[in-house]
Amino acid sequence: MKPVAVPSSLSGELALDAGPQRLSPWFSITGLLLLATLLAAAFVQARQYALLNLTVQHQDDYLVLSLYQVEIEYLRLREQLRKDADTPGSPALQLRYDIFVSRVSLLGSDRARRLLEGGQNASGLMRDLDGFTRRADLYLGTEPRGHLSPQAAQALLGELEALDEPIHRVMLDASHRVASQVTERQAQVRNHNRIGLGLTGFLLAMVMLFAGIALRQMRKLEQRRRRLERLADELRDARIEAESASEAKSEFLADMSHELRTPLHGLLGMLSLVKDSPRDPRAVDWLVTADDSAQHLLRLLDDILDLSKLESGSLALSPGPVHLATLLREVQALLLPAAGAKGLGLHLEIDPTLPAHVQLDATRVRQVLYNLLANAIKFSDAGAIVLHCRRLGAGDGRSELEFDVADTGIGMDRETVARLFRRFSRADDPRARRQGGTGLGLAISRNLARLMGGEIVVRSTPGAGSVFSFHCPLQSVADTPTPPTPDAQTGARALHVLVAEDHPVNRLYMAALLARLGHRARLVDNGREAVQLMQAAAAAAEPPFDLVLMDVHMPVMDGVAATEAIRALPGPAGQVCVVALTADVFADTRERCLAAGASEVATKPLSLGTLRALLARRFGVAAGETAAVPLPLPADADDPPGLLDRATIHSVRDLMGPAQVPSLYDGFFTQAEDAARRMRDAMRDADPEALRRSAHTVKGAALNLGLPALAEAAALLNRDAGTLAAAHLALAVQRYEEITAATRALCVGEGLLS
Amino acid sequence: MHRRSLLGLAALPLLAPPAARALDLPDGPVVLTLSGRVRQTNRGGTAAFDMAMLERLPQTSFSTRTPWYSQPRKFTGPLLRDVLAAAGSHGTQLRALALNDYRVDIPADDAQRFDLLLARLLDDRPMPVRDKGPLFMIYPFDQHVALRNALYFSRCAWQLKAIEVL
Repeated sequence: MKPVAVPSSLSGELALDAGPQRLSPWFSITGLLLLATLLAAAFVQARQYALLNLTVQHQDDYLVLSLYQVEIEYLRLREQLRKDADTPGSPALQLRYDIFVSRVSLLGSDRARRLLEGGQNASGLMRDLDGFTRRADLYLGTEPRGHLSPQAAQALLGELEALDEPIHRVMLDASHRVASQVTERQAQVRNHNRIGLGLTGFLLAMVMLFAGIALRQMRKLEQRRRRLERLADELRDARIEAESASEAKSEFLADMSHELRTPLHGLLGMLSLVKDSPRDPRAVDWLVTADDSAQHLLRLLDDILDLSKLESGSLALSPGPVHLATLLREVQALLLPAAGAKGLGLHLEIDPTLPAHVQLDATRVRQVLYNLLANAIKFSDAGAIVLHCRRLGAGDGRSELEFDVADTGIGMDRETVARLFRRFSRADDPRARRQGGTGLGLAISRNLARLMGGEIVVRSTPGAGSVFSFHCPLQSVADTPTPPTPDAQTGARALHVLVAEDHPVNRLYMAALLARLGHRARLVDNGREAVQLMQAAAAAAEPPFDLVLMDVHMPVMDGVAATEAIRALPGPAGQVCVVALTADVFADTRERCLAAGASEVATKPLSLGTLRALLARRFGVAAGETAAVPLPLPADADDPPGLLDRATIHSVRDLMGPAQVPSLYDGFFTQAEDAARRMRDAMRDADPEALRRSAHTVKGAALNLGLPALAEAAALLNRDAGTLAAAHLALAVQRYEEITAATRALCVGEGLLS
Repeated sequence: MHRRSLLGLAALPLLAPPAARALDLPDGPVVLTLSGRVRQTNRGGTAAFDMAMLERLPQTSFSTRTPWYSQPRKFTGPLLRDVLAAAGSHGTQLRALALNDYRVDIPADDAQRFDLLLARLLDDRPMPVRDKGPLFMIYPFDQHVALRNALYFSRCAWQLKAIEVL
């Protein structure tokens, strides 16, 4: 009924797909920068390499060393010449001269000239050296022109000595030039190194950036992967939830079909008994059982209807001023019989500081409290149920109304509590199952509480009872008497009701109900007849109707069409109150009726109470009712707890008339004692099925006659006949007999038996 | 560029490998003396060579650029390894000494790894002292780029007069 919740992150996930594409430009920009930096670094290195090669080729620094040799050889030659000045012509002088010349020739090489160029002294020196070698070659050359005389040697020495200063200066120039070249080259290298360092730094930054982006990308991917995994998990969970919900629903449907069939079978069975032997004195008993079954069936259908409304969100609250104490006492009174039947106390505690009147949807609050109390009674075997109503001060000044229902029942473990409010699931306890019920009560109650802006919570420990707390916002209203309803003046008069219903039995039933409430009924078979009668009424050919009870499913013209036709009538006839009756529990049928103009929709079968409430709501309290409704409950006598349900007995007496009662109870006890005998026979024959059947016949009748202890004993036998050990079974039968006897004695005391 | 001069080889008399024979006595002026760890000696525990003895060893020629000449020049002479073999050198280090007292240490291995030339002709002409002669140790710079640096330039001893084998 509810759509499966799609994980909220689902829509967000899809947007993620754009992520990687958006990142890629950054990736490529950084990549390109990285590439450019690498190229620049390579260029700088190539430059450096080229520079180094250039140095190698020029060999200037090496050359300058060779040039120094010129000066050294010059000094050696001069030394030798000085030594040999008197006796020139020694081979040593010749060698020194040759070596000197070989050194001087180095000055003439291209590289040396480039090195020396710009030195203003260099060209002069070269000329002087040329002049010297030319003259010296006359004596010391490869082809000497003459012998070196001491005079000539002296002259050469003089000339040689004059070269000292220029040679030294040129050598210094050259070394300075080379030094400056080296400095320049070093500066260049340093510059290159600096650029290289900068590039390396940039490279590093780029690599870091690249790595950062890659890391971020990876993290995003990781996040994305994780999110997808989470999404998958959520989807799986959602699927599992959906599957389990569907399973629960199927289970519920199966359970519910069974639940519905059981009372229906009871009803049909009892009715066929009555039909076959209408004169049988037990017929009333059967009818009571049939009525019980029908009521049970109705409760089930009401629950389903409520749940359907709640789940479709079509249930609207109608809050109004409510006298709190009255409401609570009504609920208490409704459940006292059930509590009394189990020997349980049912106490009410109302916080005196609460306002007398509060703004509430009385029907729904009653429903919730009824559910909680009925559950508490169902699961308790001894002690008392306490309904405690008090003010709950919320911190922010808003007050809340809290209803605590504390029982002394079996309690629940944490797991059961967790399952408690789920639709279609009953406390999975054989005992709980034994208690029956639709399993919808708590789910409905909690939904209702939430609809009111409140909540139901439960505190429970196994074996120590449970406390169900229902709280909702507290809105007090001024303690003014409730304004009379607009139709209050009609309260005392008998209403003229038109009933459109195709099924003769239902028609008769409706007629009986209305007669019981003191109203006049006009019965028709289908919608067309209803419309025709309304037309006649409009034309004053018929007395006007106060109310139309319109079955929805009818031949010839159905209720929806008839309602539409009536609403189309002119004058007051078109304004008449039309209540659509349907056995459908579905919200759309209801909506169709309301759309057609029905004043409200009631669920079939209409019970006396429901009809009375409906009429009271619409027209005020009707007159002429034959029985006073809130039955005064007799004070509990000092009889053993649980043997008699005085409320039920009272209503039986009320329904049958005092004259019929003794024969009814007499008949029952005869049957019960007969059943006891049959049980003994069955035990002897080891036929648990027969035993079960016997117990079963007693169970329903005992409940209808307000004999709960006997009903319980019979129910126990009915349930456990097949499983109990013989000894225990014998004990149970014995107990049944004892209770039968005790109950009979008590009934005689009450004047129920002659 | 010439690697080995076939012409030079052809000019050789047909002789057995020089290492196999005892070293001749020098006839002319000694131009190169190998001392130290040499086995073939011919004068006072040294191996002395005159120009003719060097001429009789297998001759090699190549042209190469050098820092000392602006143009590539052709060098001719015996390979150092042949000279060392003729002297029965068995050292690892060679100390080259020049007329101008220049000295430089050369690993003996260089003679094996490179065609290290003991040039006695420059452009096919003998080299006088004033032209860095009579002997010029020269590396084949144009054959191996790795040689073109100051280390090998410094090992090129010109006006070479002696080698001490260490």
